Amino acid sequence: MEYHPLPQPDEIEVRVREDAMGAYFMMFATTAMGLPLPILNLVAAVIYYYVNRDKGKFVQFHTLQSLYSQIPVTLLNSGLVAWTIVNFVKDFDFTGFYWGYLVMCACAGLIYFIFSIVGAVKARKGIFYYFVFFGKVAYHQVYRIRPKYGTSAPENRPPSY
Amino acid sequence: MRRSILKDLLILLGVFALIWLLASLFNYPDKPKLLSIEKEERLGEAYVDLILLNPMFRELENEKIDSAVSMIGDRLEANLEHSDYLYNFVVFDSKMINAFTVPGGNILISSGLIAFCDSPEELASVMAHEMGHVEERHVVSRLIKELGIDILTSGDQYVLGEVTGLLTSTSFDRKQEEEADRFAAELLERSSIEPRTLATFFRKLEEESDNELMKHFEIISTHPNFSSRIREALSYEPADDFKALPMDLDWEGIQAGL
Repeated sequence: MEYHPLPQPDEIEVRVREDAMGAYFMMFATTAMGLPLPILNLVAAVIYYYVNRDKGKFVQFHTLQSLYSQIPVTLLNSGLVAWTIVNFVKDFDFTGFYWGYLVMCACAGLIYFIFSIVGAVKARKGIFYYFVFFGKVAYHQVYRIRPKYGTSAPENRPPSY
Repeated sequence: MRRSILKDLLILLGVFALIWLLASLFNYPDKPKLLSIEKEERLGEAYVDLILLNPMFRELENEKIDSAVSMIGDRLEANLEHSDYLYNFVVFDSKMINAFTVPGGNILISSGLIAFCDSPEELASVMAHEMGHVEERHVVSRLIKELGIDILTSGDQYVLGEVTGLLTSTSFDRKQEEEADRFAAELLERSSIEPRTLATFFRKLEEESDNELMKHFEIISTHPNFSSRIREALSYEPADDFKALPMDLDWEGIQAGL
């Protein structure tokens, strides 16, 4: 599989770098909204992606990385909110599994927070910073060279044995 | 590339599953720690004194009954795995079939309940149930939830009177009753008392559920109905080597003194 060449830091304009950095900082702006309703964070990240995706692959990569990494955090937090409400409404026990899940959500949130800060600083410097898993997915999606269907002439090939 | 992405995903899932698992194993405190045992005991003493001043809860002075209740209580206490409480069982003179828990390990039992029990083992099962409420700190939890820690510990005489009123009409939620039932079954077994005696006692209560004398009894004040609790109590399986040791008490003679 082939990929587009990556731009070097001195080839990326300051405005582009700031837009890329914004993808991570937007998360802080929506944190307050996202506390009671974690899904709002994700909605904001999706909007930011669609508004900025035409500003070049560098911005697209960082917004996608921020968006993808926010999906599991949002799902985990939504699960926590739902679990807590159910426990209160149905008067269920707050079991060890619940507290363990809460600790896991807190860890995920903290890791996401730290990675986002580092990602924002690197983006501002015009550097690619890859989150575990999400960085590779975003890079693969943005920089992969897609075959152009319908433009090349049909090619005859011998049968396969 | 796809293989590398998949590997990363598996690592991430593994790490977070491990965090969840390890964090779940940690022993989280589930009992209210806002009120120390010492403070609870001091408050409990004041509540008991106030309750016994009420003519409806006048203390029964009968050595025979006191010693029988103490004997049952000692046997149960000796088999507690761990307890922060020093238990105080008080019998009050009332025809009502009733027993309730007051903070600090105080358990008040009506003479009507003693008359209602066909054997000391039945009384032991009720006492073990009430001890379950004590050990799980159900009363304190409920008082803190309803009044708040500040009001509860204010020491104001008027507040004390109100709390006393609450205690004598205690009711617990379904979960707390189930916890106390389970605790009682385990404690009875450790005390060499047939743990399913609780089911017998529940059945008797169910048969007399229209009896006005037991309308304040906390054991019957909660839902679900007795059928599920009888089923639960009967499903308790004692260890294979369990052997019940009968209480060495002349129960009929004791009841005759009431």
